[in-house]
Amino acid sequence: MSSRLSPAEIRKLAASRKIERVVVLGANGTMGYGSGALFTTAVPQVTFLARTKAKAEEGLGDAIKQVRSPTVASRSTVGSYDDDLEAAVAGADLIFEALTEDFGVKKEMFDKVESCRRDDSIVATVTSGLSINKLCEGRSDSFRKNFLGLHFFNPPNVIVGTELIAGNDTDPELVDFIDAFSQIRLGREMIRTADTPAFAGNRVGFKVLNEAAQLAEQLGPMLVDRLIGPYTGRAMTPLATIDLVGWDIHRAIVDNVYDNTNDESHETNKLPEYMDKLMEKGVLGNKTGRGFFYRDDEKKQHVLDPKTGGYSPASEVALPDLSYIDDVATLYKEGRYAEGMQIFLGAEGDEAALARKVIAGYVSYAFHRVGEVTETIDGIDRIMGMGFNWAPPSVLVDTMGGAAAAVEMISKAGVPVPANLEEAARTGEPARFFDHPRINVGKFFVAG
Amino acid sequence: MAAGSEVYVLGGYQTDFARNWTKESKHFSALMREGVLGALETCSIAPEEIESAHVGNFAAELYCMQGHLGAFFTEVHPAFSGLPTGRHEAACASGSIALLAASAEIEAGRYDLQAVVGIEQMKTVSAAEGGAYLGTAAWYEQEAEGIEFPFPKLFGRLGDEYDKRYGLKDEYLAEISRLNYDNAKLNPNAQTRTWYMNREHALCRTDDNPAVGGRIRIADCSQVTDGAVCVFLASRDYAEKYAKGMGLKLEEIPRIKGWGHNTARLRFADKVAESANDQYVLPHVRSTVTSAMRRAGIEDVNGVDGIETHDCFTTSEYMAIDHFGITAPGESWKAVEEGWLEIDGKHPINPSGGLIGAGHPVGATGVRQLLDSHAQVTGNAGAYQVEGAKNFQTLNIGGSGTTSVSFVVGV
Repeated sequence: MSSRLSPAEIRKLAASRKIERVVVLGANGTMGYGSGALFTTAVPQVTFLARTKAKAEEGLGDAIKQVRSPTVASRSTVGSYDDDLEAAVAGADLIFEALTEDFGVKKEMFDKVESCRRDDSIVATVTSGLSINKLCEGRSDSFRKNFLGLHFFNPPNVIVGTELIAGNDTDPELVDFIDAFSQIRLGREMIRTADTPAFAGNRVGFKVLNEAAQLAEQLGPMLVDRLIGPYTGRAMTPLATIDLVGWDIHRAIVDNVYDNTNDESHETNKLPEYMDKLMEKGVLGNKTGRGFFYRDDEKKQHVLDPKTGGYSPASEVALPDLSYIDDVATLYKEGRYAEGMQIFLGAEGDEAALARKVIAGYVSYAFHRVGEVTETIDGIDRIMGMGFNWAPPSVLVDTMGGAAAAVEMISKAGVPVPANLEEAARTGEPARFFDHPRINVGKFFVAG
Repeated sequence: MAAGSEVYVLGGYQTDFARNWTKESKHFSALMREGVLGALETCSIAPEEIESAHVGNFAAELYCMQGHLGAFFTEVHPAFSGLPTGRHEAACASGSIALLAASAEIEAGRYDLQAVVGIEQMKTVSAAEGGAYLGTAAWYEQEAEGIEFPFPKLFGRLGDEYDKRYGLKDEYLAEISRLNYDNAKLNPNAQTRTWYMNREHALCRTDDNPAVGGRIRIADCSQVTDGAVCVFLASRDYAEKYAKGMGLKLEEIPRIKGWGHNTARLRFADKVAESANDQYVLPHVRSTVTSAMRRAGIEDVNGVDGIETHDCFTTSEYMAIDHFGITAPGESWKAVEEGWLEIDGKHPINPSGGLIGAGHPVGATGVRQLLDSHAQVTGNAGAYQVEGAKNFQTLNIGGSGTTSVSFVVGV
C-alpha cells in the first residue's frame, strides 16, 4: 500500500487512529524490552509485563540502558501477568507479544489476552517465523481480525527493517494502518511478507549463515569468515553473526525452515550435526562465552575446530593465499565497487570459487523466493539491506553488471538459476534491479 | 538577476549521513566519488557534460590530512581530467559559498553546467579533537584555544543573549530538538533516523543528556557527520536542453530565485555588542535572509513554503525563527508553541531533520540544504514532503553567526 499512497496520505493514515497504550508481554526478553523502548518514542504509556514484577523491572532497566534514556521510565509502568495483565490488556490499544518462540507458550498467553482484551484492540506478535495463521487459529473473529505479525529485528532501536505479516483474516485496513504508523511514528522500514516459515529476512539470511556453518566443518571458521567477509557485502561476517544471534536461536530458525519447506536448496538449511553436539555441551555463541570464536581475558581471539570441539589461537590458524580479497578491498576503499566485484568474479583458486558459490547461492535463493515470501524482489532486498545490513541481492546483481552477468556467475557456481533472473537476462529488463535512488548502495560494500 | 542569467538547479545526490566512512575503511576519495557519481546517475547527466566543479569543504586538512580538494573531483571520472575546479572554505557555510561561486559563473556566462560538491569526513578523530578543529571556525586563539567543545559554548551564549533581551525557556529549545529528530525519522538519509529521542529526553537534565556548553546539552547539538552532497547548477540554455531531454517543461525545473550573503565580525562578543540596540540579535543574518527574499521578489516569509535552516544548535534555529520573520523579534517561542514549524504547519522548518536530525557534515550542509529544497519544490522529498511546496528558502551559517548565506529555490 505504501507505494500507492502519497507521503502526506501515509502521514494522515498514521494519525488516523490513536495508539495511546501499549502492553508488552515478555518484556524481560531481548525483543520485549527492545520493542518496549521503541514504543516509548511514540506512545505515551507502555506497560512492561513479565512473569514477575521484578522481571518486568529488569526489562525496563535493560530498555533504559539500550536506548540510553531515563525517559523510557517516565512513559512506562511494570507489572506481572498474575497481578496486572487483566487490567493492562483491557486498557491497551496494542498488545505486543514477545514471549519465547514456543507455540504452546504463546497460545497459553493468547488465551489470557483473549479473555480480557477489548474487541477493538490490536494484537501483534514479534515472532521471527512461527505461522501467524496458526497462532490465531480457533480464536474469536475479533481476535483474528486484529491479529498480525510485527517482526522487529534485534536491536529494534538500531535496525529499522521490519516485517509485517497479515493472517488470512486480518483486517486489511488495520494492516495498512500499522504499516503507516510504524513508518511514520516508529521510523520503521516496512516489508510485507507472506505467512511462510521464517518469513523473508530470516528465510534468506539464515540459509546463507547455515551454509557458512556447514562449510566451517571442513574449512574452519577463520577461512569461512574471511571468504564470506565484508567484501561480499556485509558489515559482520556470517559465523560471527551466528555467535552474536546465539546458536540455539540459529537452530530454531533453520530447523523451522528445514522441517516446513521443501525448496530447491533444501539441504543448505540443515543444521550441521557438530553444532547440535556442541550445543549439548553448552556452546551457544557469545552468550555462553564460546561459539565459533571467543576472546580470552587478554582479548586474544580463539577459533573453534568443529571436528574436535577444541579451540586454537586465531594467530596459529594458517590461511591460504587470499590476496584477491585485498585487491577487492583496495578498490572498495576508493569507492570502486563494480571494479572490485569484477576482481571477485574473476579470482582464481578453489577458495574464491567457494566464496562465489555462497554468494551465488544467496542471490539464487532470494530470487527463487519471489512470489513465495514477498510479491517482488524488492521486499527481500529491503529486509536484507535494512534488517541484516547485507548488500541486497539486487544490489549484487546490479554491481556484477546486471542479470546476464549474475546468471553466468550463478550457473558457473553450479547453483540453480532462478527463472525470473534468467528471463531478465534474456530481455535485458529491468536494466537495474535496485530502484531506490536515495539509498546509497556503497554502504553495503565494506573495504575489509 | 538580469534576464537570461537565471541559475537552474537540476538536482543531485546526498550520501547517507548515518554512514561512518572510517568504519567502512574508506578514503575521502570514496566519499567524493559516491556523491558525484550518485548525482550524475540520479539526474541522468553524462560526465562529459560537466564543464566546471566547485568543492565546498571546511577542514579536510585537519580531519583527513588532505588538501587540494578541487583536484579530487577529477579523480571521480576520466572525463573530468582537465576541468577547471576549485575549493571554497567558509567554515560551516563552505557549501553555500561554493554554490555562490558556481552560480556567479553561470550568471557571468562562463559555463553552462557546473557541479557543486559539499563534502566533509569528520569521524576520523575523537569528539574532543574534532571539537577543537571546529574551534578554528571561531577566532581560535581568543575564543577556542584550550576550551573543550568551544562551539556549544558560543551558541549557548546566543541563547543567553536571547534570555537577557527577551527571555528564553529551555523547553522551547527541547521542542526544537524533538521536532528535528522526529522529521529525521522520515528521511532515509538522516543520521539520527534511528536514534532515541522524545521531548522528555530533550528536556532531561541527567548524564544521559549532559551539558556541553552552558545551556546547550547533547540533545541541543547537531551531529558529527561524514557526508557528501553534489548538485548541478545550469544556465537557462542548458536547462532548456535538459528539460527537453527529460520530458519536462522549463518551468518545472527549479531556479535559484534569490540569494543573500553577509559576513559579520568573527568574535561572538563583537557581534552581540554591534547589535545591542538592534531588535535582531544577529542583524547580518537577518539581512542575508531578507536580501535573498528581495532578490527572489518575495515580500516576506509567507512567500516561501518551507525553510531548511542552520540548526547547528537549537539556539541557532530559535534565532532563525524570528530572523526569518516568522514571529516578531524575540517571540520565536510562539512559533514553537503553535506548531507552525511542523511539516504540516504554517511555516515548516527543516522537514529533512536539519543539522540536528539529518546531520552536519560541515562543508556539505549548505549544498544539502539546497538539494533538500530542490526535492521539496519538485515534489520528490518522499515522506518529509511539504505538500504543494513551490518555494523553499535556506539559511547556512559559518562560525558563530559570522558568514551567512541564504538561497530561495523555487519553480
